[in-house]
Amino acid sequence: MKSTLTFAKTSLNAADIIILFLACALTAWIYITFWFGNHTSGSAETLVLQVAQQPPEEYSLQDDRIIDINGPIGHSLIEIKQGKARFIHSACRNQFCVFHGWLTTPGDTTACLPNRISITLKGNLSEYDALAGGQ
Amino acid sequence: MKQLHFKTNHDDHLIALLAALAVTIHIIESAFPSPLPGIKPGLANVITLFAFIQYGWKTALQVSLLRVVISSLLLGTFLSPTFLLSLSGALLSLLALVLTQLPFRRHPQHQPGAIGYAIIAAISHMSGQFLVAWYFFIPHPGLFKLLPIFITFAVLLGIVSGIITQFLVKSITQNLQLSDK
Repeated sequence: MKSTLTFAKTSLNAADIIILFLACALTAWIYITFWFGNHTSGSAETLVLQVAQQPPEEYSLQDDRIIDINGPIGHSLIEIKQGKARFIHSACRNQFCVFHGWLTTPGDTTACLPNRISITLKGNLSEYDALAGGQ
Repeated sequence: MKQLHFKTNHDDHLIALLAALAVTIHIIESAFPSPLPGIKPGLANVITLFAFIQYGWKTALQVSLLRVVISSLLLGTFLSPTFLLSLSGALLSLLALVLTQLPFRRHPQHQPGAIGYAIIAAISHMSGQFLVAWYFFIPHPGLFKLLPIFITFAVLLGIVSGIITQFLVKSITQNLQLSDK
């Protein structure tokens, strides 16, 4: 072939160079989309709240509200605002649940273990998280 | 007792030889630990790629199906998730190769070389596996955060396997020309 580029005994023709260029462009586009874009597949729709030993309750994320929950060691306050949810207060010592901040995407979870309260956002898509299989 | 006789021709021997090579490479490769789950050099695809470039997609399809089925039987992963991932990657990469070759049917002298085909095969292999993994096994949007890393490795390893394939094609065609003379 006339239009070949030879480098270290390997040769690339015009079609190879176009493919290489497209592959680099695709890679760059994927980085931009999935790392820097606000990509989420599906949006969170409900908040699933579970308090020790009780069946989970679901709250819609459409209605802004503050839920006051009584756990084994005291009150916890959970805020729902504009499709997001967070703990704003809990009776525990470490306050990990409060520092976790806003839950925004389906599958996001936080819990106040001392007060035995956990919240999870549920979307319209995934019913399960993963299937484990043998090697 | 009547004995079974299979009539085999040259093509059958060729496919068997290539498939045996691919299975061997696949099994040796699976013994090495991988830096990241899901990232493998994919050197067995060199054989598929070689079959595709040298003998066409039908040979490549048979070689790669034999490779997937036999090596999964030998490794004990037949019909497991690993097998499904391997199969979907192999089929999608071959489909992508055929589609890439399609516009060059009339002008085969302008079609991509081994490196171009290898990049296409690696990217489509990775995306096929990724989509099956995401759709069937881990349907969590967080998985897509890993896609850029996977695709980067696919492109790099695709270039490497393309270079290897090119050496293979060159040396084998040279040997064939020598033996013809």
